[in-house]
Amino acid sequence: MKQKPRVAVFDFADCEGCELEIADLEEEILDLIEIVDIVSFREVMKEHSDNYDIAIVEGSIMRPIDEQRLRKIRSHAKVLVALGACATIGGINKIRNQWMPDEVMKEVYGNANVKGNELFNVNKTKAVNEVVPVDYYIHGCPIDRDEFKHVITSIALGKKPEIPRYPVCVECKKNENICQFELGNFCLGPITRAGCKAICPTNNSPCEGCRGLIKKAETECVKEVLERYKLSYEDIRRRCTMYNYGREECGVDE
Amino acid sequence: MSKDFSIHVEHVTRVEGHGNITLNVKNGSIEKLEWSVVEAPRFFEAMLRGQQFNELRPITSRICGICSIGHSLASLKATEDALGVKLSEQTELFRRLAIHAENMQSHILHIGYLVAPDLLGVGSVFPLIGSKHTDTVLKIVKLHRLANEMSDLICGRTIHPIRLVVGGFSMFPTEKQLVHLQKRLEEARSLTQELATVIHSVADKLPAFERETEYIALSTPKEYAFYDGDLTSTDTGTLKDYKKYQEITNEYLVPQSTAKYAKHHRDSYMVGALARFNLNSKQLHPAAQDVAKLFGLKAINYNPFMNTIAQLVEFMHNIEDSLQLIDTVLNQGIKDEKPVKPKVQAGRGVGLVEVPRGLLIHDYTLNSKGYCTKANCIIPTNQNHANIQKDMEKLVPEIINRPEKEIELTLEMLVRAYDPCISCSTHYLDVTFV
Amino acid sequence: MKKIQSMSKKDFTSFVNTLIASKTYDVVGVKAKGERFVYDTLDTADDLRLDFDVTIIPPKKYFLPQYEQMMKFSLEKPFDVHPTFDDQPRVIIGVHPYDIIALQQSDAVYLDDQKDDFYKKRRQNTILIACDIQKVSERSFAASMKTNIVEDGFDLLVTNIGNTYTITIGTEKGKKLLEKYGKTKDATTEEIKKIKQVRDTLASKYKQKVKIDKKEWPEYLVANYQNAIWEEHADKCMECSSCTMVCPTCYCYDVRDLVSLNMKDGQRLRTWDGCMLKEFTKVGSGEVFRDDTKERYRHRFFRKGNYLPQRYGFVACVGCGRCGIACLPNIADPCDLMNELAHFGKEEETGRYFIKQKTTVVEKGIIHVPRSATIRKIQHLSDTDTFFELELDDKKPLGHDPGQFVEVSVFGIGEAPFGVSSPPTDTPLFEIMVRRIGNVTTKLIGMKPGDKVGIRGPLGTGFNMKSFEGKNLIFCSGGTGMVPMRSVINYVVDKKHRDKYKNITILYGAKRPKEIVFMPDVDNWKKVHDLQCEVTVDKCEPTECWGGCVGLVTTLFPKVRMDKFDSKNTIAIVIGPPVMYKFVIQCLKTMGITDDNIYVSLERRMKCGVGKCGHCQINGIYTCKEGPVFNYQQIKQLPEAFE
Repeated sequence: MKQKPRVAVFDFADCEGCELEIADLEEEILDLIEIVDIVSFREVMKEHSDNYDIAIVEGSIMRPIDEQRLRKIRSHAKVLVALGACATIGGINKIRNQWMPDEVMKEVYGNANVKGNELFNVNKTKAVNEVVPVDYYIHGCPIDRDEFKHVITSIALGKKPEIPRYPVCVECKKNENICQFELGNFCLGPITRAGCKAICPTNNSPCEGCRGLIKKAETECVKEVLERYKLSYEDIRRRCTMYNYGREECGVDE
Repeated sequence: MSKDFSIHVEHVTRVEGHGNITLNVKNGSIEKLEWSVVEAPRFFEAMLRGQQFNELRPITSRICGICSIGHSLASLKATEDALGVKLSEQTELFRRLAIHAENMQSHILHIGYLVAPDLLGVGSVFPLIGSKHTDTVLKIVKLHRLANEMSDLICGRTIHPIRLVVGGFSMFPTEKQLVHLQKRLEEARSLTQELATVIHSVADKLPAFERETEYIALSTPKEYAFYDGDLTSTDTGTLKDYKKYQEITNEYLVPQSTAKYAKHHRDSYMVGALARFNLNSKQLHPAAQDVAKLFGLKAINYNPFMNTIAQLVEFMHNIEDSLQLIDTVLNQGIKDEKPVKPKVQAGRGVGLVEVPRGLLIHDYTLNSKGYCTKANCIIPTNQNHANIQKDMEKLVPEIINRPEKEIELTLEMLVRAYDPCISCSTHYLDVTFV
Repeated sequence: MKKIQSMSKKDFTSFVNTLIASKTYDVVGVKAKGERFVYDTLDTADDLRLDFDVTIIPPKKYFLPQYEQMMKFSLEKPFDVHPTFDDQPRVIIGVHPYDIIALQQSDAVYLDDQKDDFYKKRRQNTILIACDIQKVSERSFAASMKTNIVEDGFDLLVTNIGNTYTITIGTEKGKKLLEKYGKTKDATTEEIKKIKQVRDTLASKYKQKVKIDKKEWPEYLVANYQNAIWEEHADKCMECSSCTMVCPTCYCYDVRDLVSLNMKDGQRLRTWDGCMLKEFTKVGSGEVFRDDTKERYRHRFFRKGNYLPQRYGFVACVGCGRCGIACLPNIADPCDLMNELAHFGKEEETGRYFIKQKTTVVEKGIIHVPRSATIRKIQHLSDTDTFFELELDDKKPLGHDPGQFVEVSVFGIGEAPFGVSSPPTDTPLFEIMVRRIGNVTTKLIGMKPGDKVGIRGPLGTGFNMKSFEGKNLIFCSGGTGMVPMRSVINYVVDKKHRDKYKNITILYGAKRPKEIVFMPDVDNWKKVHDLQCEVTVDKCEPTECWGGCVGLVTTLFPKVRMDKFDSKNTIAIVIGPPVMYKFVIQCLKTMGITDDNIYVSLERRMKCGVGKCGHCQINGIYTCKEGPVFNYQQIKQLPEAFE
């Protein structure tokens, strides 16, 4: 009998929201454990095994000790999936990269002696693929459960998942939403990767770009739109730094 | 009795976030007993720097996936307090529904997925499927699904709630949707009672441990406090000026923990469902009080393991109060309201909210252009870390002669009973800059 | 002259409410959504807003839904596929004239000689209650497109003439509906006069006017294919495809297989796609055929204003103005664009980017649902190329022309096009060659004899072998070009047909010795009388065992025996990678072969295979309909063919 792929779920610096999305599959978890064996999932399971085929990693990498742990996971796994914006593009965690680690440490811990304590030894935030090679990406903050199901079944079927590389506008228009720009809001939808079914504009809130940019904010067309809708470049710069700090656009493989 | 052993639990399982338990015993006496938080600090303080007041909620929501609605509401309350925003009655009703949904979702996840396995003697819920407990698991899943669908409906999305914005909601549900939700909540009543019976049958697995503790939560004569209330302590009563909350939550750093500790009247204090129950149990809905009676849970209860039971009691109250709120909304009719547009001005605002794990405080200072210049955040689990440590210090001597595996399990169960949200607690905000 | 009834507004409201209460139909009408309007199911006639200006997306969503399940398949049983049709009877109230015209246009596409059964079912189940426009949308230019009024295409047409509605009866279906659920009387002459008044008054309210009559759009467009205006505008394009999503005459789509989490079954889903998206034309190897934004931007206007008029006789723009509203940088509006082009010249020859020809269609069941075939033989020719022999399970021959292709489905993974590599026979067997590139090909290569796949086809236009009879044939193939070419060669060398053709020359080039597919066939061909076969490789390492020529395929031309060569009576067939064509055709010209005697086979992203999804477009033609085999004389004038 063909053995089911063994899956282990790990998290680093994150809010665990993406892992919770997996738990929120509710009854469908029964389907999930029919096609894979979950051998490690610290948040809901006591058991742990170092024998796994697929590693699902949530969270950004902050410290050398985290990089060590991640490399160990990569060496065990045949396939590594980056789960959620913190892991795929750095997400919210990267906002602090605007300042040097020392500066920030002093802010938070004041004069407390934390030097030499490896718990507090913090580098600039990194996405998972800045430390180890990633095989598949599940974007979003949080992830979309349907996309998660699609990636897992694709891996189980032995095919490359079909993740869109077109903008949120496509899905937003299919949902018949009134354009956020029409309502006087500034939306990152036109330069953000789709796949979330445009959930934020569908709930009447502009897109914040959590799935990663697919077009540089520095382009002619974006400037044109900003001018037309009387928005400042400062607005877009700050909005782009929310999840996409230090990134221009997603690479072809991401 | 001479005993030499060491217990080290690296990254306790079935809790949110990363924490370690270390116990070294030599010759029958405790050499080292530590609850240490090893979570990577994410420095949320840096992230709020210079952000515009509309962007504070989306960022702080990401402090925690499980309590993202709670963080969002505390954040919005702080922002609205700073800008002097007055909310509509409809918004107040729906925000209470949002917090009920979150409380239900978090509590049932904790009771069902994180604690129940210990009571049923397994490592996780997965092996329970296919066993005689399959029915119970399916009930838990059904209730969890309902709580999620409720918060999806009210907030647009359970994790990182899109519809919660400064001044109100970006969008409201339709009456049809609320009527449907009502039906589902009514069904949930009986499911909850059945679940309570099952938990009661294994409740004897909860250790009978007590330690006199100070309990802190919000309290108000209007209702069993979640969304609004005054900071109250079982020891010292109500705090008059909510902006002076730091008089109660005194934070300090310890080397084994990337999260700070807190203390008030004693060496430590506890927040959470048990704290709320101990302060406000009389205001619970009768159906919830019945659940408490079933377990013999009465105020004041000093057993931290009963926190899980207090959560079950609150779960029933959340259902009942939600049904009443929906009745009120339907009677008034849902108005197509836009969020209140605030007048941008400088100010300091503090938002206090009871989230599933306890008291949460967000404190923001905005400049005249509406950008954040200073922020502070007191997380419930932060406030509990010292109490966990103190509880362990009293508990271990009482069980030191039990088998090692049992001591390890009991200590893990103690940590789990608090339902800690460790990622949250290392992401406090403490910024001061020009 | 259509019959016209009239009824009071109150009676019309009751008519709609009675319709809703009968629970016989999904009663859809125009509802307000904030400041805009949408089509949605009505709970009460009070929500119906016939005074709307324009909806966010057109009623096309009821005939070609944004997400449509086409079929369900099982992953547990070898071949268990069921198309899923929408049986819901529906009434749509409030379709403006331009949207009625747009539906008539999509009928021309979807109900052509290769009918789309899903669309057909929905169309049959729906009753259209059109309505005259009461409020002009800001960006609409329907009046200057003459689409603000419509004479047919509806079941009923409602006109607001004050306190009364007139109802123009369009069809028997409409008449019966009205009689069953409503109360009307014959319209008076006064009332009928008012209809024209209302329409004339409204027509004068249009602020947006296009200066060029739509009949002349093709002439202006063709003259300005190279105009700088495309690039100027495209620089601002967000490539978001909002314009195509909201357009009533856009209907390109993509198809995906979705698998349930339990991996027991799945569905094949159809969803809107847009030609403005960069990856619209992307093929398995990663190549994109309209890479530059300006090419896609220009393509959209040409499709609406030149290509579709060539194919169907109508300009595929109805002046609704939705794209004008939706486009953030405001470059999508055809009215503005054509008004700019009006300053430039026009040209009479509007068919330049199109090929008019009658395409042969073999109707085999529902065009989108594959039929079952079993893998009989698998031969791994190299680590990337695998040879398959397939047998159709209905035991009927494929019935293809050499050069045609099939769409092969591996359910749960997807569907991909493959040229048929074997000549037509009277057995249910046929051959394809699979090169590992993407999901479907990787999966196929791992399958075993006895496994089942889905087949749609034969598709496309192949070689007309009868027209080649009595002629010399020269075949020139590069790399995988030999895969479809083999079907032609093996046809002509077959004893049954050999004598119908004169001298045969085969020139075959591959990159490396190991990439020469069908070496055994080459050996056989060399044995055939009056046939010259030369093979070459681009490069050969000393370690590789190769005793033949080294050099590009063009280096084989000097070897061709010219003594019996009659260039006037020779047909050349060229199939290879895009870069090869220019050089080979130059060689053929030098030999005296004229363009109309040269045939090529081109590859694009063939997805539906029946000229509907839009992915394989080369200017105005579909590679899956007018191609993949083309006469060079015709295809050479299409700029997108050999870029």
